[in-house]
Amino acid sequence: MLHAAVGVSQARQAALVAAHLPIPPVVNIFALVDTGASCTCIDPSVLQSLQLTPTGSTPMNTPSTGTAPHVANQYDVSIIIPGPGPTYPPFFSPTVPVVEAQLLLAQGFHALIGRDILQHCLFSYNGTAGIFTLAY
Amino acid sequence: MALEQELETYKNKLAELQGNEGKFVLIRGDQVVDMYSTYEDAIKEGYAKFGVNSPFLVKQIQAIQQVQFISRFVDPCHTLPSR
Repeated sequence: MLHAAVGVSQARQAALVAAHLPIPPVVNIFALVDTGASCTCIDPSVLQSLQLTPTGSTPMNTPSTGTAPHVANQYDVSIIIPGPGPTYPPFFSPTVPVVEAQLLLAQGFHALIGRDILQHCLFSYNGTAGIFTLAY
Repeated sequence: MALEQELETYKNKLAELQGNEGKFVLIRGDQVVDMYSTYEDAIKEGYAKFGVNSPFLVKQIQAIQQVQFISRFVDPCHTLPSR
């Protein structure tokens, strides 16, 4: 589990500025690093806070969908994962598609960090020490 | 249902789009606006052309649609059943 922040995408932010509209503040979240997720998923409450509308869709299989995939909403957002201290640069993805998925909050987090983001990082899990490392 | 018309347009135009597999197509209503090398470029152009309040679809062109998989029990927010 890690702290992260989700905001409107850089592209949407530029459009909001051009339209003289306010930019919703970034939302601080708890996210679970999940190597079993092929894509990053975010709870609807976070997306609603950012006043987003879908800009995509993708078929998705989960244990709850059964054998037939369901088409899920996709949104463009920016994601920030802070570094270990203030002098370390954060991981920043300015415009990335994420999938809207419910039941994340009931499990104690707002988002799953999937392999679409992990593919830009070095992720190691030290089970005997009970720690993980995310380098980028 | 979100982006219903745009998804229908994508489905109808897929045969024409397949020569650009891997690129990202920008669709508004029944119009294919253009194709872009990156997701970011397509999204940027979508907001530049249509603003923040009009719907548009950005989708990677794939002859065989890649299905995302989540091993955890979550409920994807549906737009429509997969076909």
